[in-house]
Amino acid sequence: MMDPNLTTIDFRLYAHWIVLLPMIGFLLELLIGKYTWRKGGMFATLSILGSMIISYGCLYNVYVQELGFWEYSWDWFYPGIVAGFTIDPLSLAMLCMVSFISFFIHFYAIGYMSHDCAKNVYFAETALFTGSMFGLVLSNNLLQLFIFWEMVGVCSYLLIGFWWHKPEAAAAGKKAWMSCAVGDCLFLLGIAMMYTIMVKQGITTEIISFNNIFQNLEHLSHETIFGMSALTIICILFMCGVLGKSAGFPLHVWIPDAMEGPTTVSALIHAATMVTAGVYLIARAFPIFLAAPNALMIVAFMGAFTALYASTLGLVVNDLKRIFAYSTISQLGYMIAILGCGAVLGVAAVAYAIFHLVAHAFFKALLFLSSGSVLHGIGNIRDIKEMGGLLKGMPWTGYAMLAGALALIAFPFTAGYYSKDRIIEDAYIYATNGGDLGYMVWIFLVLGVILTATYTFRAWYLAMTGEPRSYPAIRPHECGFWMKTTLVVLSVFALGLGIMTGGGVKFWHFLEETFVHETQTASGVYPGLDLHEIGLLGGNTLMQHGAHPPQWVIYLPLLLMIAGLAIATTVYYKNRIDVSKYVKKDNPLYQILWNKYYLDYLFKDIIAEKIIMTVFTFWDVLDRYVIDGVVNLLSWITIQAGQVGRKLQTGVVQNYATAVIFGVSMLMILVIMFRGGL
Amino acid sequence: MIPLQYYLLLAGILFAIGAYGIMTLSNGIRLLMCVELMLNAANLNLVAFSTHINDVSGQVFALFSIALAAAEAAVGFAIILMVYRLRTEIDIENVKLLRW
Repeated sequence: MMDPNLTTIDFRLYAHWIVLLPMIGFLLELLIGKYTWRKGGMFATLSILGSMIISYGCLYNVYVQELGFWEYSWDWFYPGIVAGFTIDPLSLAMLCMVSFISFFIHFYAIGYMSHDCAKNVYFAETALFTGSMFGLVLSNNLLQLFIFWEMVGVCSYLLIGFWWHKPEAAAAGKKAWMSCAVGDCLFLLGIAMMYTIMVKQGITTEIISFNNIFQNLEHLSHETIFGMSALTIICILFMCGVLGKSAGFPLHVWIPDAMEGPTTVSALIHAATMVTAGVYLIARAFPIFLAAPNALMIVAFMGAFTALYASTLGLVVNDLKRIFAYSTISQLGYMIAILGCGAVLGVAAVAYAIFHLVAHAFFKALLFLSSGSVLHGIGNIRDIKEMGGLLKGMPWTGYAMLAGALALIAFPFTAGYYSKDRIIEDAYIYATNGGDLGYMVWIFLVLGVILTATYTFRAWYLAMTGEPRSYPAIRPHECGFWMKTTLVVLSVFALGLGIMTGGGVKFWHFLEETFVHETQTASGVYPGLDLHEIGLLGGNTLMQHGAHPPQWVIYLPLLLMIAGLAIATTVYYKNRIDVSKYVKKDNPLYQILWNKYYLDYLFKDIIAEKIIMTVFTFWDVLDRYVIDGVVNLLSWITIQAGQVGRKLQTGVVQNYATAVIFGVSMLMILVIMFRGGL
Repeated sequence: MIPLQYYLLLAGILFAIGAYGIMTLSNGIRLLMCVELMLNAANLNLVAFSTHINDVSGQVFALFSIALAAAEAAVGFAIILMVYRLRTEIDIENVKLLRW
């Protein structure tokens, strides 16, 4: 049983330490990490362990002891702008997932980064990365969330470019930063607009705190900008931020390149600390999206399109890590799509999305860490065409990757089976209950399933089975203690998370309390929201009671998954079908996929180099001749006036004396004239 | 009793001579002497008016003014002495290094 003393601690009051501990870890690691155990890594790992303990303590308080949701905040630099923390099921689910995964990734990195010469810098940056994500998750207001959102971006830039001496890594860091920046600017604009319309309502305290916005949605929904609902515009701007951070189409281009960073960083970015931020933002701001007409339709469509789009790209890539990177984009698409389905499903959609997010975090971290182990074992070769037969040399890694792959393709009874199939079933319910673009969303998601199974097992078969296709692959070496432990722990969760949570039901019930239950604050209580009424503000009619899809809809994803698995097995394991005649540069379809639908070409060669450079040329001429011309003309006039005027200063005393006497005389004459006497 | 107008006329003449000297002369010492003339014209006025209205404070003020003039003369002559040491002349029309 639990120690009775522990049960009296209200961990919710220490929530700020969840953020502060990794920040302290960051400083210690940066300043003195080099002189400690194994030249770095100790402070970062321990500080995140501390955050993890507080997070699970909060979970215990809220889930087991039912102490209620809690929020506290204090005024910051400007009245009405607060810094604050919120503890509710949504933030708790994220906190527990992020701290757990991040802790094990740090644990793994102690082994993985053991040969790196700047270990303490690496661990300092990952601690800051994790701490920023904690801050983002705990934020109770938009501005604080945005600050941590940007800090996460900065850390990802630093870590993707961690091996900066490689030009590709430096370029990848820049690309990640720039792609996110496009979305972030629009996100900031959305926050500014939200601030404006809240101030217009006469609200002076907690102006952009989430709970306060939710309470005022009824008034806010009457605001219009350019004849459109202000909330819809704000939600679209938020969505742009989400597309940048959560790698939605078309701002996902940075994700494949981000594979240049250390594999542990890829695991952190994909599982815990970066791309989940966007999904979390929609989940956190869900009532706003619900109250905005058409906003959730855009979310659902963009998510479903991204899910299918990215999974087609995963089919042709040969880089082991990039295959998993595309699968991340695709799975994030599933999460965003189901959040969009919230227009019909209500808060249950948030629960499904976050459950898939958590399940995905476990199996994606596992996939990346096991591919990191492969890279470690065969000398940083990432091309699956040069692997093969690795299962014999590194069985731990191989079976761990198999566990992750099974969870990714939603094999029965793994974590992904409960989370992803639920999403697809509910997308069907969304479609049948009058969701906008419903069948299109559902079809996209269903097609994604078969592609996911194919490309995932293409990677696994090519890497792990068959004959070694390069010299390093003949004698791979298995990873050590730190990495093996992590792989085992994550495998257990990737396979068993669904069963542990009773098929996800316990998780969903816990998450569905978000928004609808009251939240205590230091000064009062925010009452729970009636999401049905909020939905009506945005023209969304929520389902009153649960619906069950027909049997064939439930079994369809399973069948398609088996079909995809069968395709992969036939082609890449049994080698029954030779695909090499299609996989050629002269096949136009292959070429489109290989060039990633020419998006990189469009962004870099056309938009960046042609359009922006042309604009810059005009700007340069304007700047050099018009703006500079005005400035130079003014200075020329001043200089010329000075040349003439300074001759007045002769330096001869008599001239000054004469001027004084003349001046005083004139003054006296004037006084006499106008006053008629002295 | 000499009428007030005579004093004022004398002071006016003295002041005019001083001002004329300042505007036309270029010898540093002569210049200072002209300044003294102008100051003393003002002092004369002060004393004359003070006697005229039977108030002694004007004469006290004249004493201050004389002390001030002495100080001013000391500083002025010191400057002219330095100019002489530097340039072996005291023609202030040529002392115009610090212009444009």
